[in-house]
Amino acid sequence: MKYRVKFWVNEEPVELEVSANRTLLNVLRDELYLTGTKEGCGAGECGACTVIVDGKPVNACLVLAPELDGKHITTVEGLAKDGELSPLQQAFVKNAALQCGFCTPGFLMSGTALLQENPNPTREEIVRAISGNLCRCTGYVRIVESIEEVAAQYKGGAR
Amino acid sequence: MKEFAYIRPKTMAEAVAARRQHGSRAVVMNGGTDIVIQLRERLIAPDYVIDIKGVPGLREIAYDPKEGLIVGACVTMNELGEHPDVAANYPWLAEAALSVGSKQVRNRATAVGNIVNASPLCDVGTPLYAANATLIIAGLMGEREVAIEDFITFVRKTTLGPEEVVKAIKVPPLRDARGIFSKVSRRSEVDLSSVCATVLKVGREFRLAFGAVAPTPVRLKATEALLNGQKLTEALIAEAAILAKTEVSPIDDIRASREYRLDVVGVIVKRSLSAWL
Repeated sequence: MKYRVKFWVNEEPVELEVSANRTLLNVLRDELYLTGTKEGCGAGECGACTVIVDGKPVNACLVLAPELDGKHITTVEGLAKDGELSPLQQAFVKNAALQCGFCTPGFLMSGTALLQENPNPTREEIVRAISGNLCRCTGYVRIVESIEEVAAQYKGGAR
Repeated sequence: MKEFAYIRPKTMAEAVAARRQHGSRAVVMNGGTDIVIQLRERLIAPDYVIDIKGVPGLREIAYDPKEGLIVGACVTMNELGEHPDVAANYPWLAEAALSVGSKQVRNRATAVGNIVNASPLCDVGTPLYAANATLIIAGLMGEREVAIEDFITFVRKTTLGPEEVVKAIKVPPLRDARGIFSKVSRRSEVDLSSVCATVLKVGREFRLAFGAVAPTPVRLKATEALLNGQKLTEALIAEAAILAKTEVSPIDDIRASREYRLDVVGVIVKRSLSAWL
């Protein structure tokens, strides 16, 4: 059985017929060809599929497709604006906060969600906010530093 | 995952009717952080998934100093843990909620789902056991209220009827209460509890609830009886720590051995009570 869902991805309206046994991750990758969102574990452990749904980071692998009706979703493809990478993406590039890159979209989404919620997080708050994202290459230091760097730019209300 | 029909009831009556109609062929989904994994792994293969997130009123958290706290079925772990009334009046419950999984998981996982799953190591179990919380359950004949201790009966078993849906958790008001939530796990973030516990001091009464050391979360009634009304001393705490170990029945599993868990029970009793010496 198919379910008609209307939702928004990166501010673009989408209307689809989806099966109940598909996840948000399947819909993004296989129906909308937004392959920036990655599947790591498929069980909510690794955070590679993190997207922002109605302002909150969630694991796209744990959301059923019919649940999407009416939701606003931001994926890594929605971070750049007018051809320019977001401040956090630029900081990741500048600091080489990645090696293989597979986990990077998930970290960018968790980091973006944190900075939207709390533009001046402490280092501890940053570490907690990304604790649901696993990176096997970098050791996390440059990722944390990149988020800190963007937070520092925001200080003084210069958002 | 296998194909199934997705049902999104708009009222609690519709949810209960869907349960009645489809019986064991249906599963109720809330945050989905356990259900979707079970579907994917084919541990369950229902023909119907009843998503109760469209039922109005289930997102509410209400606190009243006389009535206590009501946590609706669809309140997420982050919503519970970050709520100012919960943080102010039941900080150990807030801490337990925020100890679950990752931020992404806590944005979806619900406290009620954690209880209905009835895992022995459910993190919000011990604070609710210690607080003498009850569950408000909707069914065909209206609502009933059941003590959490009578709700969870064994590993992943509850007294929830086939035509019932849990509507909310009710936590009584606690006067002059102090509490400590403890979670011992292999890593400090995003892990399941090897042992979890909530120790409360309500006036001169002590309440000790432990998780992951028996088929259900447990209250240590004999240890509580030893402590109630007494002035805490180092000797009494040492005695309580020894007695506590006789009231649990942990097993060996991938997270910890029985022996380690028994030791940790003693350590948690000692550390928690020593905070109030």
